[in-house]
Amino acid sequence: MNTRKVKETFLGGLIKNNPTFVLVLGTCPTIAMTTSLSQAFAMGLATTFVLLFSNLFVSLLRNVIPSKVRIPCYIVIISTFVIIVQMVMRKFLPELYETMQAFIALIVVNCIILARAESFASCNRPLYSVLDGFSMGLGFTGALCLIGIVREFVASGSFAGFAIPGFPTMSGVGASAFGFIAFGCLMALFNFVMQKLNERKEKMKAVSLPLSDGRVDELKEATK
Amino acid sequence: MDRTKMFPMVKGVLVLAIIALCSGLLLGIFNIITYVDPLQSAYDRFAADTGKSFSEMTDAEGKDYENGSIIYYAVSDDGLTQAFLSEGKGGKFGSVQMYVYVTEGKIEKLVVGENSENYWSYFEGSTFYEQFLGKDIATLNALDADNVTSATRTSEAIKNAIDVVTQYYKEKLAGGTK
Repeated sequence: MNTRKVKETFLGGLIKNNPTFVLVLGTCPTIAMTTSLSQAFAMGLATTFVLLFSNLFVSLLRNVIPSKVRIPCYIVIISTFVIIVQMVMRKFLPELYETMQAFIALIVVNCIILARAESFASCNRPLYSVLDGFSMGLGFTGALCLIGIVREFVASGSFAGFAIPGFPTMSGVGASAFGFIAFGCLMALFNFVMQKLNERKEKMKAVSLPLSDGRVDELKEATK
Repeated sequence: MDRTKMFPMVKGVLVLAIIALCSGLLLGIFNIITYVDPLQSAYDRFAADTGKSFSEMTDAEGKDYENGSIIYYAVSDDGLTQAFLSEGKGGKFGSVQMYVYVTEGKIEKLVVGENSENYWSYFEGSTFYEQFLGKDIATLNALDADNVTSATRTSEAIKNAIDVVTQYYKEKLAGGTK
């Protein structure tokens, strides 16, 4: 297993190609399911599960599935895991399932999952595909939780269902319009931080270049 | 027909069929593992919502009405609370199930059950449920209640679910019969 590729795949889904803040995929569940942290976390976990297993099976079957029927095959695989998530949630988390069921079913058409199946899992080995699914899911869950924290805090003055005393509640802010505003602000912040980090990295690279292009050895030779 | 064209087509159909078959088998296994008995689920929900025990379903058959249906009806073991699981038609994305709890002839609690609606955020902070809570079930006309703005069809489905409970109550329960 190539360590560099593993690292690139993992960090890619989590930060560099974050599905929510960078690729701007899956906006529908992002807005609809981030009114509270618990819902956002549950949605993120459900999507991660589906991403992980659909990537695994698409990758395992990549040499068997003919290209002309690949999309229907991917949809069958994805919907199978979505239904499994529904069944498990219905059995073990009935109350959460009742509030989320409309959006759990919609994971089937979540473009993050189909995009990863098509662009990554269909042309990579199963282990990398699982890792990609996991990191993408983690990136999606993290982004959803971040938006959920902000929206829940501003709209209900609470964190993960626990009320913060003395904080004014603004129930209207819980609506979708503020969801878009919160999403936009956090996306801008994320990209600003990433840009600054990249600039810093580039500067560091430029400073350390003379050390890596062999001139250090020349200097050492000269000083001998 | 050209065999070179026919073969990939047949292969594609076969692969898709095999994947669908395996998917069906997997779902079948999960269905067995995660099967939820609807009757037991209703008992559990009644008990969780009221804090009382329900050991017998008084009406497990239910009754259909024009605007919805009664799915289950049970009386708590202490005989004080009547619990209904009803379903109201007319929601934006289908029917809405409601758990309606009646104590001494008055609506004590309303809990939304299974549904596919996604307009629930409009209900937060609204006084919609106050139009029903504490009201006499025998005289209540649920359909006259005001809807929640921007969630009209969801409100209609809830009103229908409460209305079928009032119809059922008037037909079968008012007058002292269980």
